[in-house]
Amino acid sequence: MTAIGLDVANLSLVDAADAVRQGEVSAVALLEACLANLDAHEDAVNATIWVDKEGAFAAARAADTKRAAGGPIGPLHGLPLAHKDMYYQAGRLSTCGSAIRRDFVPDYSATVIERLAAAGAYAFAGLNMAEFAQNGTGHNRHHGDCRNPWNLSYITGGSSSGSGAAVASRFTFAALGSDTGGSIRLPAAANGVSGIKPTQTRVSRYGVMPLSFSADNVGPLARTARDCARIMSVIAGHDPRDPTSAEMPVPDYEAGLNGDLRGVRVGVPKTYFLDDVDAPVRAAFEASLAVLAGRGATLVPLTLPLMDAVATYASVVSRVEGATIHAEWMRQRPHDFATHINSRMFPGLAIPGTYYVEALSRRGPILKAFATEVFGQVDLLATPTIRICLPTIAATDVDDGPPGTEQLALGISINTRPFNYLGLPAISIPCGFDPNGLPIGLQISGRPFAEDAVLQAADAYQRDTDWHTRRPAIPAA
Amino acid sequence: MTEKSKFADDMTASIATWHGVTPPNDVALRMLGDLEKLIRDFEALRGTLRFEDEPSSFEAALREAASIGVRR
Repeated sequence: MTAIGLDVANLSLVDAADAVRQGEVSAVALLEACLANLDAHEDAVNATIWVDKEGAFAAARAADTKRAAGGPIGPLHGLPLAHKDMYYQAGRLSTCGSAIRRDFVPDYSATVIERLAAAGAYAFAGLNMAEFAQNGTGHNRHHGDCRNPWNLSYITGGSSSGSGAAVASRFTFAALGSDTGGSIRLPAAANGVSGIKPTQTRVSRYGVMPLSFSADNVGPLARTARDCARIMSVIAGHDPRDPTSAEMPVPDYEAGLNGDLRGVRVGVPKTYFLDDVDAPVRAAFEASLAVLAGRGATLVPLTLPLMDAVATYASVVSRVEGATIHAEWMRQRPHDFATHINSRMFPGLAIPGTYYVEALSRRGPILKAFATEVFGQVDLLATPTIRICLPTIAATDVDDGPPGTEQLALGISINTRPFNYLGLPAISIPCGFDPNGLPIGLQISGRPFAEDAVLQAADAYQRDTDWHTRRPAIPAA
Repeated sequence: MTEKSKFADDMTASIATWHGVTPPNDVALRMLGDLEKLIRDFEALRGTLRFEDEPSSFEAALREAASIGVRR
């Protein structure tokens, strides 16, 4: 409890930042609240790989001193954040969720870490993740499986497992994740938080562990779409150290959030994304469409083009690039990978270069054809983030499960992966709970560089719903 | 180890030849078998798309697609 009379760790990132700015709460109080939750529940959730409490208190005290001095402060001033343990910070551990990099300490920092720091935030923990960001479930043989705070027997989604679980558990106000096939949106959906994968090239990847050069994206997970908007305004934009980052202007994403969806056309796919969807997921999805319509959006049923090509080529690109990056370790240290990781990478080595070139060379034409057909009719697409009710950790344990377990585990990302190949922005926000009490996610995508429209729709939805405000009652381990 | 198909044998030999990597476990062999479906899916796309003659890049496609259908 604090001077403003509530658990400040339960504030949204934006509310917490504004409370610091107004002097209603100190940076030290925010940190103490987050660490209290961490101390109470980390044994159960296993969301972190390392925590630097001493450094965190030093940063929080410095933030309070700076604010007291009366100078200008940034939009994230005094906020304790924690990130997927693959964002390089000079002099700090960055395990990448692996055994191979268990002791890796980079000597430089990621651009996004520097931009968050320039905005006033500081990082106090490295969060659990799938080994080298290579599964969609959150299993980790080396650092322990991350467990869903809504029910510890269930998966957190991955690969940014700790990012989703830590935000939901109120260990931090937000966390960076990375998304190559759904690794921000899946844990956002599974943990009942908000998470956005930006347009390919929108955010710098300098100082971020690579998995798939063509499909990797950096983005935030936080309680609300507005929180994501504030972080996106800080981290997006060209970075000379990442020559693949786009030289496109970055709007003030938060300023565009007005709750008004009149004139916005939302496409509802009639194919692919709703194939074999579980009934509770379908019900939550359909209810969410009504909320968007209630805000003025026009719903437009659509048959999406080229989805077979998108799914097939996406699989080729991600398999080949993931295998290529890790090929040397696959030769030299094969037994330092978990079974479900090296088994996933191994087949990628058999795919011919001609397939890979074909898959990549058709990416641009497919995007343009898809955009012409889809965004000629609508502004946004809405889909379920995950088609099925969340499975348990045991049911998706490829290392110890029966044959076929890998298919269930890989199927988690079937609705998220297409947007990586297409390079489109996509957010997942909570839209309900399944009969087991696990969260369900709504995915909203849009045109390239239309993060503003995606965030606006997500924020409008959250003005009329309270799924994003719900907090898990975390049981003991 | 599980019984391997001729396809898995061929792929395993190819990977060993080109990359010097051996199958790390049974799951890897099962997932190697999944490539048969990927090949079928890939081949099913034959003739549905063609290569563009002119130089292009995905980054340019992103910029171009950003304005498609935008109402002024």
